[in-house]
Amino acid sequence: MDTVVQIIVSGLTLGAMYAASAIGLSLVWGAMGVLNMAHGALLTIGGYASYSAVLQLGLPWYLGLPAAMIVSFVVGLAIYHIIFRFMYRHPAFETNVIIATVGLAIFLEQVTLLIYGAYPFPQPFSIEEGFYVSSVFVRFQNVLILILAVVTMLLVAALLSRTRMGRAIRATALNREAAQLMGVNVGRVFAQVMGIAGVVAAVSGVMLSSITTLAPTMGYDPMLKAFIICVIAGLGNVPGALVAAFVLGLFEAVVQFAVGVRFGFPALLALVIVALIWRPYGVFGRRQVRRV
Amino acid sequence: MFETGPNWRRDVAFGAILVAVMIAIPFLGPSRYLIGQLTLFFLWATVVSQWNLVFGVGGIFSLAQMAIFAFGGFATGMMGLYLGISLWIALPLAGIGSILFSLLIGLACLRLRGPYVALLTLAIAQVMYLLIITDTACFYMEGVTCRNFTGGTRGLSKFGDFGFREMLGRREYLKGDYYLALFLLSLALVFSFAIIRSPLGFAFRALRDNPEYGISRGLNRFKYQLLVFAMTAFFTGLAGGVFAGHFRVIGANVLSLPLLLFLISMMVVGGLGRAWGPILGAALVMLADEGMKDFVEIRNMGYGALIVAIVVLLPQGAAGGLEQVWGWLLRSLRRLRGEPGPPAAGRAGTGRRE
Repeated sequence: MDTVVQIIVSGLTLGAMYAASAIGLSLVWGAMGVLNMAHGALLTIGGYASYSAVLQLGLPWYLGLPAAMIVSFVVGLAIYHIIFRFMYRHPAFETNVIIATVGLAIFLEQVTLLIYGAYPFPQPFSIEEGFYVSSVFVRFQNVLILILAVVTMLLVAALLSRTRMGRAIRATALNREAAQLMGVNVGRVFAQVMGIAGVVAAVSGVMLSSITTLAPTMGYDPMLKAFIICVIAGLGNVPGALVAAFVLGLFEAVVQFAVGVRFGFPALLALVIVALIWRPYGVFGRRQVRRV
Repeated sequence: MFETGPNWRRDVAFGAILVAVMIAIPFLGPSRYLIGQLTLFFLWATVVSQWNLVFGVGGIFSLAQMAIFAFGGFATGMMGLYLGISLWIALPLAGIGSILFSLLIGLACLRLRGPYVALLTLAIAQVMYLLIITDTACFYMEGVTCRNFTGGTRGLSKFGDFGFREMLGRREYLKGDYYLALFLLSLALVFSFAIIRSPLGFAFRALRDNPEYGISRGLNRFKYQLLVFAMTAFFTGLAGGVFAGHFRVIGANVLSLPLLLFLISMMVVGGLGRAWGPILGAALVMLADEGMKDFVEIRNMGYGALIVAIVVLLPQGAAGGLEQVWGWLLRSLRRLRGEPGPPAAGRAGTGRRE
């Protein structure tokens, strides 16, 4: 019983964090066709921004998250205006941008390293207290993470389906040329998407660092896992990514418990490869039929 | 893209001069440091030239090249350490092993397209990295110390080297590794040019220029991609083996992200898919690296910024930029002489030559 509770708690927490990372990636891919390898860096920046806001500026701990969201929002916008804006009309954009964002990821990681050093800090946006489920201690932080993730996802979903901005984003994702012909300012849509991705990344960065620690490279592993989730769901498929995130989070928790922590990621990858051999366009992905 | 026209004579001549110069350099009495750096340059250039085939010619967005490199290195080291065989025998075996390893990766990944391939191959490399650095189980005991199968965080060592130390003595042994790496690079280059001019190269050109027509004429993209992926893995794995033998140690750090970026930047700086791009890029990036040696903290930052700048400002890379300048020079020369230049010369910088 205890182990089951333990696995469910850690699986749901993992799933919530992966989901928050994955929707950012999926959104950027879906709307712009950009595989953003700097997403992990956005996560890291969010985590550190919260740390700085609370421990260096002396704000109360609960303002860490909003501060992180603002900083990552600005960085996301800056990435669009400094890099993507000049690239997205190029025919080889989809491959070039992957390389550019790998470069950007290292750049941002090094900037973080230069400012904060490699010493791992604890995340101040965190609650130490908790409660017991039968005999298992559950931190309020885990509950907070789950709630935050769900709220973030609902907000993003509402933004996409209810607002004018969301409609423009979906139109651009569906067909960039057609959207442009209908008067959608594609450049502005891209900027908005990068801003939203920044905010979502900040949320997952703060959550992630609250159960591990802050480190300049902390965004890399969760980003890869979020990528894997997007691959399983089919890149650009936001609802699919949510389901996949929780399923894979639970799966990873089970493997970590049953076989050992170090086999969590390899098992995840093996599962994904098997899934992709079965369905090459993602489990929830649609087969893309290209007309000649 | 790659040139298949009469210019291949120029390529052969250029390659021959390059190799001749490199053969001569050790006789001019360079420092040991220079020899070491050039050896490393040959190894990276080998990896990047093969990567360029995979990426630039085959259109496979693979980030698993360093995983294959690491496989070759670890296979060589492990055979030397656990089977006690000479690295000269272990090296070709590791090369063949790398082909099998890449076939496994290829079968899993190459049915996917574009960014999916990049993601999955990167994930494979990262899993390999994690499995090595978290390896703490005792595989054998060395006195009272416990050694891991993969060497763990310390890296795999004590498998010996290529025996140049005994053959050439302590002062000269680096030159043995130097020539071995140069030989490997020459083979890899000959192989690259042979591939580009082979039916395989033409198949890829067809698939790139007009995929629908190529496929309807019976070209199987998956089959050709798997083929080029496996063939290039041979030299990539060998480079890993020579790397291990040269440094007498191989560790998970060859799978690190900064090193991957270092090599990608060589490819991007040189010009993706261009025949001499990888060599030019490897040389330029290693020179830039020398320049940044005194600024360790901002070194990786420098690469990051450099890659972004090149991709944004010069998507054709330095080789493409040079071609553009060259084409412009030729044209202005002709204009000065009053000759009408061929119209094709004006398209030198577009990256496509039909």
